[in-house]
Parts: sequence; structure tokens; C-alpha cells
Amino acid sequence: MKKYMYIILVILFVSLCYLIFTSANIVLSNDLSLPKGIKQADSQYRLVLITRDMDTTFWNKVGIGALRQAEKEGASLEMWGSYSNNPEEFLKKLELAIHSKVDGIIIQGLDTDEFKALTKVKASFFGIPIITVANDVPMKESLRRTYVGSDQFSAGKLIAMQLLNDMGEKGKVVILYDSQQEYYQKERVRGIEAVLSIYPDIELLHAETSESRDRVISSVRDTLNQVPDVHAFIPVNANMIGPMVQEIEKRSQVEPYFIYTFDDGPESIPLVEQGKIDGVIEQDPEKMGEVSVEQMIKWLNGETVPLDINGYFTNIQILKGENE
Amino acid sequence: MSSIQRKILTLTTVIIVVMSLIWIMLTFYNYKTQVKYNEVLNRYLLLNEVSRSSNQVITNLNNYLLQPSSENLKELEDSKKSLVSAKYEVFKVRNEENNFTLTNYIHLMESLIETTDRLLGIEQDDEETVKDLAEISRIGNYISETTLTLIDMELKTHEPFYRGIMEQSIELVKLAIWMILLTSLLLLIATYWFSLSITRPIQQLTVAASELSKGKFDKEITVKTNDEISFLAKTFDHMRNNINNLIQQMKEKAKLERELQQNKIILQESHFRSLQSQINPHFLFNTLNTLSKKAYLEGSEEISDLLVSVADLLRYNLKQIDRSVTLRDELMIVKQYMEIQKARFTDRLQLQEDIDESCLGVGIPALTLQPIIENAVIHAVEPSVDGGVISISVKDDHEYVMVQIKDDGMGMTEEKITQILMEHQVQTEGHSTGIGFSNVVKRLRLFYGRDDVISINSTKGVGTAVLLKIPKQRGEKHD
Repeated sequence: MKKYMYIILVILFVSLCYLIFTSANIVLSNDLSLPKGIKQADSQYRLVLITRDMDTTFWNKVGIGALRQAEKEGASLEMWGSYSNNPEEFLKKLELAIHSKVDGIIIQGLDTDEFKALTKVKASFFGIPIITVANDVPMKESLRRTYVGSDQFSAGKLIAMQLLNDMGEKGKVVILYDSQQEYYQKERVRGIEAVLSIYPDIELLHAETSESRDRVISSVRDTLNQVPDVHAFIPVNANMIGPMVQEIEKRSQVEPYFIYTFDDGPESIPLVEQGKIDGVIEQDPEKMGEVSVEQMIKWLNGETVPLDINGYFTNIQILKGENE
Repeated sequence: MSSIQRKILTLTTVIIVVMSLIWIMLTFYNYKTQVKYNEVLNRYLLLNEVSRSSNQVITNLNNYLLQPSSENLKELEDSKKSLVSAKYEVFKVRNEENNFTLTNYIHLMESLIETTDRLLGIEQDDEETVKDLAEISRIGNYISETTLTLIDMELKTHEPFYRGIMEQSIELVKLAIWMILLTSLLLLIATYWFSLSITRPIQQLTVAASELSKGKFDKEITVKTNDEISFLAKTFDHMRNNINNLIQQMKEKAKLERELQQNKIILQESHFRSLQSQINPHFLFNTLNTLSKKAYLEGSEEISDLLVSVADLLRYNLKQIDRSVTLRDELMIVKQYMEIQKARFTDRLQLQEDIDESCLGVGIPALTLQPIIENAVIHAVEPSVDGGVISISVKDDHEYVMVQIKDDGMGMTEEKITQILMEHQVQTEGHSTGIGFSNVVKRLRLFYGRDDVISINSTKGVGTAVLLKIPKQRGEKHD
């Protein structure tokens, strides 16, 4: 009896000791530290990359390149922006960046008056340099320091050449563009026209639309109704490719049409891979990010003053659909 | 201080110290967590303060623009000051995670202040003022938004910390419970041991007391502790010893008294017997003396001497039954008795004496040798036609005087010897003194206070020897 009592006591004692040990281990573990406080703001450059299309493949790549370069240069960079092409939110971010007195703004150009007002007046007032990336806005209107991205004129030319190559020198080509007539789109159209206008048998049709999905669909429908024997589509705004393909699919096969666009929209690359469109201009978004940060730092350090007004162009190449 | 009290105090102190230690530990830990918690809360409050004071600036600015009084201006200045101080306070919130955003935040505040100053400083037309005011309110919105972003960041970066704190606090409660259980267990055991150390001696003492009450006084009481109980036990043991001794003494006294009583009874019996034969002794003595003289005158000297012996023997018998006499007296009376018997048995009875004269002074109860001799005569000489030899020897044997009375009769049976030595009444066969052998044995034992004072050796057909072992110094237990 007494022996059992002792055994029970010993077991009780040992198990209590074990429980105390485990509890104390958790309680006394010191891994609960708040993130390290910083007393002094370090003097590294604070850069902001602002886009209208956050979380798309294209802009993620730009972000990756920019962040990589910023880390290399020892600058801190944050990527801000609006989702799904929301200009209002986008402009708010720009203004916030200006009021936050960042050292440099790298921004996707937006060819609107508000944008220009902000860059031209406000940013200049605070002395914040602006570099446009991927989509340009003319220097005179925006007072941007430089542009980093594809040469949109060349891109237009490249796409036109590819079209000629695929379709031949005869046919009706519809060019879809924004009613806003952004600078980069104009450049693209200019590039396309520059090539295709040489060929008299190619008829260029301009279809103006806005970025909203419904409008794109309706204008594609109109075009198809008015010009049923169209051969090729070139939406210069890559965001239009999705609704456009959708609308064409409703009516007929997509394959007979020659469709070309650019890769800065969220749907471009998947559609090429599916073979629904014939080719896209593949740009080099990572390089854009890298170069923009590099140039910004150079400017801030006073190494290159002034920056090349025409811009720093990154590589473009055509990516063809698989079933061609 | 008494030692039980000291023990209790020690135990209580240990308990208090252990409990306080646990309490202090838990309190200290709680305090530490509280500090961390406050630190975190303070961050939120700082951020909130910025948002609040920037809104205040905007409101006051609006008020001032609507109603440009000095009061409103003062309020505006105050709110601006509080915003500036909030701006400096918010530096504390900076960490690795929110560095970028926080810098923006601070610059936003600066922008707000600058824009406000600009608006106040320069005379502007209404349109410009409205525009600037709109901008200021936008900046205010940005500040609020950034506050939210920062708070969101805080939540995100501190989430593991909060979860850790929650987990730790839960574990802390568990820990406290386990600790209290363990301490209780240990204290329980300690208390048990401790109480045992107090109660065990008491129990031992109780057992000892109940033993004593049952009358067992010979069991020693031992309690091995170093407190009062041990002292109590020692005292108790001492008492037990004393009682034991007293009882022993009482027992001995009672025994003595009983012996004395017996002695008296025997003496009375002897007295009675002797009185029976005491028929007008003076007449008897006178008659005997007359007879003696008459015999002498008639020329029978032998008869005269015999009659004198008879008279002496008779006198001795009557006089000295309850008195201590010397061996010498006894031997003398034995001789006179033998002379009487010789007259009876003539040559059939022979007496051999071997006496160490130096031993004759030793004390002996009266009429002890004579009955033994008489016994020998009756049993050894009388029945034999050839008579017999009775020898008496007195020898010195260190502390004792050895008196041997030997006959060469037919001996006694073992049965009879034990009967005699057990002091049973043996049938007397016409003794002159009326005093039997067993009476002698009894008196000798009582007189010397020892059982081995008399021993009987007998061989069938060879004879009987009675050996008296008389101590030269009488036992002190006797008077």
C-alpha cells in the first residue's frame, strides 16, 4: 500500500515537473521580439514605382526588375498602383507620392490632363524627378526626366511587318485604339501605319473605343458588322484583346483572323499560348524596371544630367502563336 | 525557543517563502508582458494621434477661413503645434518594416503643415484658396489612409508577436496551475514528514503509557528526537524506573513480612508443643534432682549423672526454643542427649565427634541439631540390633561452617528426602522435644534466609548424611 503511494507520488511529481518544464519553455522563450526599431531614417533614396495594373504578369516583372536594381543600388523602392486600370486611384497614388516627398517617381505614363498637371506642376514644385516606364507621355507635356521602355514606334512597325509576313500584302486591317488617344498608342499606330501605308492593297480601318469591356465588345461587333470581310485585328491597347477575342469567338472561329497585339495586357500571353491570337510584341519588362531605377539613381546622384529625353529603349521581339 | 515551535515556524517560513517566490515570479512576468503590451498599444495611439491632430488642423483651418478671428487662429496654431509634436513622437514607431511608409507619413505631415502655412501666409484670391483647401483636405485624407496602412502593417508585422503573447499568457496560467500543484504536493509531503516527526514520538509515548497502565514496568521508553517529547519520554522513563524500584521494594517487604509471619507461627507451634510437655517443670526438676541425689547416695552415680542430663536437657528445651544460641550450646545439649540415649542403648549407640573448636561460636537456632540427631537415633540405631554409629563433624569451610550428621542406618527414600526438604509435615515418631525434622528445616531456612542451608544425602543400606551449611555471617535480611 505504502509502496503504491510512493509510486503514485513519484509519477505525479515527474509529470508535474515535465508539464512545468514545457510550459516554462514556452513562457520564457524570447523569440517574441518586435521588429527592430530604427531611430534614424537612413539617407537612402526612396523611390516609388506606380502603375495602373498591379498584379499583372507584365507589371510584376517590371517590379521584380526594379526591386532587384534598387537593392543593388542601395535604394528603397515600393511598388504602388491601382488595380484593373483605375486612373483615379492611380492619380491619387501619384499625388500621395508627391506629398510624401519621395526622392523619385517611376511611373506608367498616362496621357491625361490630370496626370500631366500632377507631373508638370506639382512634382516640379516639390522637385521630384519623374521617369515614365513602359508607357510614355511626351516630355513637353509631362516634364518627365526620361522614358524607359519599348520604342512603341518600332513595336508598331514590327507588328506590321509580322502582319505582312503572315497575311500578305493585301487585306483589310482593323486597328483598335483608345478614344483617349494615349501617346504610346499613337506611337504604335504611327509605327503600324508607317509600314502598311506603303502597300496600296492593304486597307487600314481605325476603330475607336474606350477601355471598358462593353465598349470594346460593342465596337468590335460594329466593326464586324460594317466590314464583314476584315482580315486582321491589331488592338494597340493590349487590355482590349480579351473582350475582342471573346466577341469574335461568339460569331465565328478566331483562327481565320490575323490578330496581333502587345504583351502588356493581362490576357495577351495566355491567348497566344492558346493559339487564339497570332502574335504579340514581347517586351522586356524586367529590363524596364532595372533601367528605370538605374537611370533614376544616376540622375539623383547627378551622374547623368540631363537624361536622354527620347528615352532608353528596351528590347522588343515578336512572339508568334503556336498554331501558325 | 522550544523546538516544536521552531519546527512549525520553519515549515511556515518555507511555505511562505516558496509561495512568495512563485507570486513574485508570476507578477514580474506579468509586468514584463504588460510593458510590452503597453509599448504596442502606444504605437497605435501615436499613429492615431497623428491622424486626429491632422484632422484637427484641417477643421481649424476651415473654421479660420470661414471666420478669420484671432481665436480661431490660435486654435489653428495650437493644433498645428500638436501635429508637429505628434510628428516627432511618431519617429518612435519606425522600424524595419514600416520605414518607407513612415518616412512618407512624416513627409505628408510636413506637406500638410507647409501647405497650411502657405495658405495662411500668402494673400490669395478665392479660387486659389479653395484649390489649396481641397489639396489640404486631400493630404489629410492621405494621412488618414496612411495611418490605416501603417496600422495594418503593425497588425501584420506584430501578428506573430500578439499570437505569441496570447499563447504565452495561456501557458502562463497553465504554468501557474502546475506550479501550485507541484508546490502543494511538495508541501503536503513536507508537512506529512514534519507532522510525523512531531506525532511519532507522541505516539511512542502513548504506547509506552498504555503499556505502563497495563502494569508492564520493565519496558524501556526510548524516543529519539531532539524536542520536548524526548525530554518528556526521558522523564517518563525515569518515573517508570522509580515505580519499578518501589514495586520491587514493596514485593520484598511483603515477602519478608510473610516469612516473619510464618516464623512466628512455627515458633508458636514449637512453644505450644514444648508447653504440652512442660508439666510443672519445677516439680519435674526437683523430682529429677531428688532422684539424682538419691541415686548418688545409693551409690548409683551413673543414674545420678543420667538424671542430671535429663534435667539439663529438659531445661534447655523449655528455655531456649525461641532464642539464638551458639553451635557450642547446641553441641553440648547434643552430648547430654547422647548420654541419655547411651544409657538406653549402651554399646549399640556410638557417637563419633570431629569438631573444629574454632567454629563453635557461630550462631544457630536453638534445638536444631538435637532433633536431627534424635531422628538419626530413632531411624538408624533403634531398629538395628547391632546398633549404629552417629558421627558429628564440624568443619571450617571459608565463609561457612559445615556441620555434618551422619548415621549408618538403612537410609531414607528419595521421596522422604524431598518431603522433608519441601517442609512437609512428616509423621513424628515419639520425639522427645516434639519438634519434627521439617520444623527444623523450616526454621533453619528462615533463620539464615537461604534454601541451601540444609541438604540430605542418603544411600539405601549405607546411611544418611545431613549437611548443614551455616554461614559465618548471617544474611542481612534477617534480624
